[in-house]
Amino acid sequence: MRFLFRTSHTIDLALFQHSGQVFWYGLLVIALLTAPLVLDPFYLGELAQVFIYAIAGVGLMLLVGYTGMVSLGHAAFLAIGAYAHARFMTWGMPFLPSLLLAALFTGFVSMLVGLPVLRMTGVYLAIATLALAEIVEQVLTHWTSMTGGFRGMRVPDAEMLGVALDAPRPFFYVCFAVLVASVFAALNLLRSPTGRAFVAVRDSETSAVSMGISLVRTKTLAFTLSGMFTGLAGALFAHRIGHLAPDAFTLLTSIQLLLMVVVGGLGSMHGVMFGAIFIGLLPQGIALARDVLPQGVANLPGIEPAVFGAILIAFLILEPDGIYGRWLKIRRYFEEFPLYRKDTFKRQQRFLSTERLR
Amino acid sequence: MSLLKASVLSLSFGGVQAIKDVSFEVSEGEIFSIIGPNGAGKTSIFNVISRFYDLDAGRIEFDGRDITKAKDHKIAALGIARTFQNCELFEHESVLKNLMIASDVHRQSSVLRDMLFLPSVRRQELEARERIEEVIDLLDLQAYRYEAIASLPFGVRKMVEIARGLCLRPNLILLDEPSSGLNPEETEDLVFWIEDINRELGVTVLMVEHDMRLVGEVSHRVMAMNEGEVLTTGSFQEVRSHSTVLEAYLGGGHG
Repeated sequence: MRFLFRTSHTIDLALFQHSGQVFWYGLLVIALLTAPLVLDPFYLGELAQVFIYAIAGVGLMLLVGYTGMVSLGHAAFLAIGAYAHARFMTWGMPFLPSLLLAALFTGFVSMLVGLPVLRMTGVYLAIATLALAEIVEQVLTHWTSMTGGFRGMRVPDAEMLGVALDAPRPFFYVCFAVLVASVFAALNLLRSPTGRAFVAVRDSETSAVSMGISLVRTKTLAFTLSGMFTGLAGALFAHRIGHLAPDAFTLLTSIQLLLMVVVGGLGSMHGVMFGAIFIGLLPQGIALARDVLPQGVANLPGIEPAVFGAILIAFLILEPDGIYGRWLKIRRYFEEFPLYRKDTFKRQQRFLSTERLR
Repeated sequence: MSLLKASVLSLSFGGVQAIKDVSFEVSEGEIFSIIGPNGAGKTSIFNVISRFYDLDAGRIEFDGRDITKAKDHKIAALGIARTFQNCELFEHESVLKNLMIASDVHRQSSVLRDMLFLPSVRRQELEARERIEEVIDLLDLQAYRYEAIASLPFGVRKMVEIARGLCLRPNLILLDEPSSGLNPEETEDLVFWIEDINRELGVTVLMVEHDMRLVGEVSHRVMAMNEGEVLTTGSFQEVRSHSTVLEAYLGGGHG
C-alpha cells in the first residue's frame, strides 16, 4: 500500500499524484502508440471506435457525472458534429479546421438549446433532451439540401500534410490524439474553478448559489462544453462510418452514450474509459452470443436495445459506482487484505437536507 | 457604524406572514443573535438576506449598499457568507475542495484559461491554497483535509461549513443554528471558535441560535422574535428578562 506524503501544495495540483501513476499511464500510452504496428486493421478500427466513444463520453461525463444533469439526447450532438464536419469538408475546408469548427458549432448549438432546456431539472430535463434528439433527427431527414435527407451524405476523404487520414492506421492516431487532448482539457477544467463550480451545482444548488456560483451560467457552460466534446466525437465518427444517414443517430445511440458513463462510473474520467471499452465491445459480445443462443431467441429483432436496457438497470441497482467504482473496491480489498471490512464503501446515512427553498 | 441595516422587512407565503415589519441593525465587529421559538421567522430573515426569498416590502443595506434586489449569487462576493441549519456541503467532495469552491468567489476564471491550465491559473490555485490553509489552521481541520464530506461526523461537518464560509473572506457571516446537532462539549468549543472568528478575523457575526448558554456567552446584542415580529432587542440580560420574551417562550400568565 502506498502512502502519499504531501510536502507541498503543488502535489494537490498535479495530474499525476505519484510516480506509479506516471509509469502505468506511460506504459498504456506506449502500448497504444505501438498497437498499429502489431494489430490487424479490423481491431484498429474497433479501437478507434472506442476512442470516439470515449471523447463523447468525456463530454457526457462533464454533464451527467460532474454537473448532475441527465441528457437522453446526446446522439443529437453527435449527429450535429458529424454533419457539420462533413458539410464543412464538402465546402472545401481542410480536415483540422473543419474538425475544430464542427466542435465549436456543436457547442454553440447546444448553448442555444441549453438556454430554455436548462430551466428544467431531473426527469423533465431528460424528456426535453429526448425531444431535442427527435427534433434533430427530423431535421436531418427533411433538410435534404443540407443533409441529403434519407439517402444521407458521403463524408469527404480527409487528408493532412499529404497523409490520407481515412486509412486505419492514421485514423487510429488521429482519434487517439484527439482523445488525449480532450481528456487533458477535461481534467484541467476539473482542477480549476470552472470544474469545481460544476461539482458544486451537482452536490447542492442552494449551497452553490450562496458560494457565489451562478446556476444559469454554470449549467449553460456545462451543457455547451458537453455538446462541444460530443460534436468533436461526432466529426471523427463521420469518418469512421464514411456515409452519414439519420438512422446512425437514433435514440439507441443516446442511450448507448448514457449507458457508457453510468456503467463506467459516474463522476470519474476513468469511468469514461471503462465505459467506452465496455460499449465498444458490447455489440461484438452480442454478436457472439447470437451464435450460442437458440435460433428463436438469437434472431429476435431488438435484442440489442433490450440488452443495453437490462445492463443499465442492473448497474443502477447493483453497482451505482460503475466499473471504476468496482475496481476501486477490488483494489482496496487487496491493499488491505486480510483486514478489509465489508462495509468500507457502504453509503453513509445522509443527514437531513435543508428544505427546498424554491 | 452599521454594517447591515434591515428596515421594515415584510415577507409572506400565501396567507402566512413569515416576517412582519422587522427592523434591526448589526454594527461592524458585532456578534448579533436572533432568538425565538420555532416558526418565529429567524431563518426566513437569513434567506431574505441571502436573497433566496424576495421581500414583499422593506429594504436591506449592506455596507452602505442596497442589496434588496441584488442577484442571489452576487451576495457572496459582496462579503456575506452563510451556513445552513442542516449543513449543505458538497457531499461527494473532499473538505479541501469544498473550501476551494468558496475561495473561487473572488477569482476571475475563464473556461479557456482553465482548460489549458495556464501558469496564471496554477499560481492562483496555489495562492488560494495558502489562504485556505490559514482557515484550516484556525478551525483545527488539518486531519480532515482530504476526507470526503460523506464520511465525516456531523460535528466536523458543521465546522467545515463555517470554514467554507470563512473562505469566502466575508465581512459578515450568517450562522444558522451553529450548535444544532452538536453535543455539549462541541457546543462549548463553538463559543471559542465564534469569538476567534470575530476577534482574529474581524468578521461580524449574525447568528440564529436556540442554545441560550451559547447565545449568552458570545452575543453582544440579542434580538428576540415571535411569529414574525420583533419582541425586543438589547443585551442578553435585558432580553432574557423581558416580559414579552418570557411570554413567547413559556406561554402567557408568567411573571
